[in-house]
Amino acid sequence: MFLEIYRVHIFVMKFFKEFLFPPYEGKEVLRQCYQVGYRSLALISLTGFITGIVFAKQSRPSLAEFGATSWLPSLVGIALLRTLAPLLTGLISAGKVGSSIGAELGSMKVTEQIDAMEVSATNPYKFLVITRVLATTITIPILTFYTALVGLLGGFLNVTLAESTSFSAYLQTALDSITFLDITASTLKAIVFGFTIGMVGCYQGYNSSKGTEGVGKAANSAVVIGMFLIFIEEVIATQITFLFRT
Amino acid sequence: MAQASENKRAITVGVFLFIGLAIFLLGVFTLGSQKKAFVKSFSLNVVFNDIQGLKVGNNVWFSGVKIGTIKKIQFYGSSQVQVFLSIEEEAHRYIHKDSKAGISSDGLIGNKIVVIDGGSPKFPFVEDGDKLMVNTTLSTDDIMKTLQVNNKNLVDITSDFRILARNLVDGKGTAGALLADQRVADNFKQIVENLRNTTAAADKMANDLKVFTEKLNTEGGLADRILTDTVVFARLQNSVNELQKTAVSAATLTENLNKASAKLTQTDNAAGLLLNDQPTANQVKSIMKNLDSSSKKLDENLEALQHNFLLRGFFKKKAEQQEQLNNKQN
Repeated sequence: MFLEIYRVHIFVMKFFKEFLFPPYEGKEVLRQCYQVGYRSLALISLTGFITGIVFAKQSRPSLAEFGATSWLPSLVGIALLRTLAPLLTGLISAGKVGSSIGAELGSMKVTEQIDAMEVSATNPYKFLVITRVLATTITIPILTFYTALVGLLGGFLNVTLAESTSFSAYLQTALDSITFLDITASTLKAIVFGFTIGMVGCYQGYNSSKGTEGVGKAANSAVVIGMFLIFIEEVIATQITFLFRT
Repeated sequence: MAQASENKRAITVGVFLFIGLAIFLLGVFTLGSQKKAFVKSFSLNVVFNDIQGLKVGNNVWFSGVKIGTIKKIQFYGSSQVQVFLSIEEEAHRYIHKDSKAGISSDGLIGNKIVVIDGGSPKFPFVEDGDKLMVNTTLSTDDIMKTLQVNNKNLVDITSDFRILARNLVDGKGTAGALLADQRVADNFKQIVENLRNTTAAADKMANDLKVFTEKLNTEGGLADRILTDTVVFARLQNSVNELQKTAVSAATLTENLNKASAKLTQTDNAAGLLLNDQPTANQVKSIMKNLDSSSKKLDENLEALQHNFLLRGFFKKKAEQQEQLNNKQN
């Protein structure tokens, strides 16, 4: 276990060491952004929209019990912007993107394509790992903003159907309890989640073995470990944000 | 072909990233405008004894409009709390120096807010760094304390009512007996019946009185003459005067009789002595006895005198005259 931690440490430190120095694989980063970000947009948007509607719908009876349905936009806003949007995006991305990266790199590992790249004087870590980790680190915060927006729209749909509230009034109330600290914390969280998803996927794929079985295991581990780490990071981020808030 | 596809992908990613960042920036600017983060502001401060959980970032309201936020909170003096308010410049020309700031709540269970009241136009407008006076308001705790007292009173009242209701059900007390005792109920019914009869009688009496008063008011009647005829009235007045005199005489007579009767109870006069003194009564009895005895003896003596030869002729002559008088009458 400690050996594994050491390997992870070396793998992560290598990213920071390699990331700063050329050659820069811009096209590959762009391609990965397309794969990770754009190709996940529909899934993330749909999930965020449904989450907004469901959250508003489920919260309404509890608030209605003490006549506080006017607080529903505020509740939806706080829940989405502080926690749900980054967490939801992170978890879905961990499932979709993390497994994809793990499987892709695992497959390349077991078919010795990575070794071939090393032989052909191409830095496989720079080309495969840094590009993917950068792509997830950039696109997951962007996806988080999309999720927050469509989630708020979903909440608005529920609110306006029940109370005919205007969008400006809804948005005003939804953002009323949100501070810049919340926005900053959510953005940083999303960046960390993105980095984690990319790094876990790449590590699992890059170090896979035992043939095709190893590929499946790498994809599976990328999802499970990625999600687990996202939850751990969420707890830590919440505690740190709470310290700043007080 | 591959180049075109790559370009398309690059544009797609660019648009995706651009829209994502635009959403982020839009959110930040919306939040900023809502929090008045990019608005020029000035600072005011208020010293409260109790800030009731007010936090940095809470809103400041003026006439129901959000004009700023709480910028800083720090202890002041021994136990007071100084709150610094960041007020947007636009509100400067509405807040006067005598304005007061109080702590309120955004709704019944909402966030704490600072509410500034207008102040008087006689005073100049506030300036950066001014200290506002405090407007003491009832906190939620105070309201809850009052409600608690009310609740306690309510419990006492309902408890008393419970006892009262139990007593009523058990038929205790006058009210309970009224409700539960059949005899009392019967009596009550009887009272009501009597009352009804009395009312009917009173009604009849009122009708009779009405008839009577109508008769009294009939022109030429006794009452009418008493009330309207001056001659009758003068006679009545005379009669009343005479009666008054008689009453005075009667009063005098009664007084004299009282005096006389009072004297009768005393022994310093003959009648009182006769009535009240036992020795005198005994003497009178003895005298009466002697008189009785004497009269009997005198009767015997007189009988003897009638048969005396000296007077026999006189009595004989008187008897003959009486006989003649009786014959004449017959």
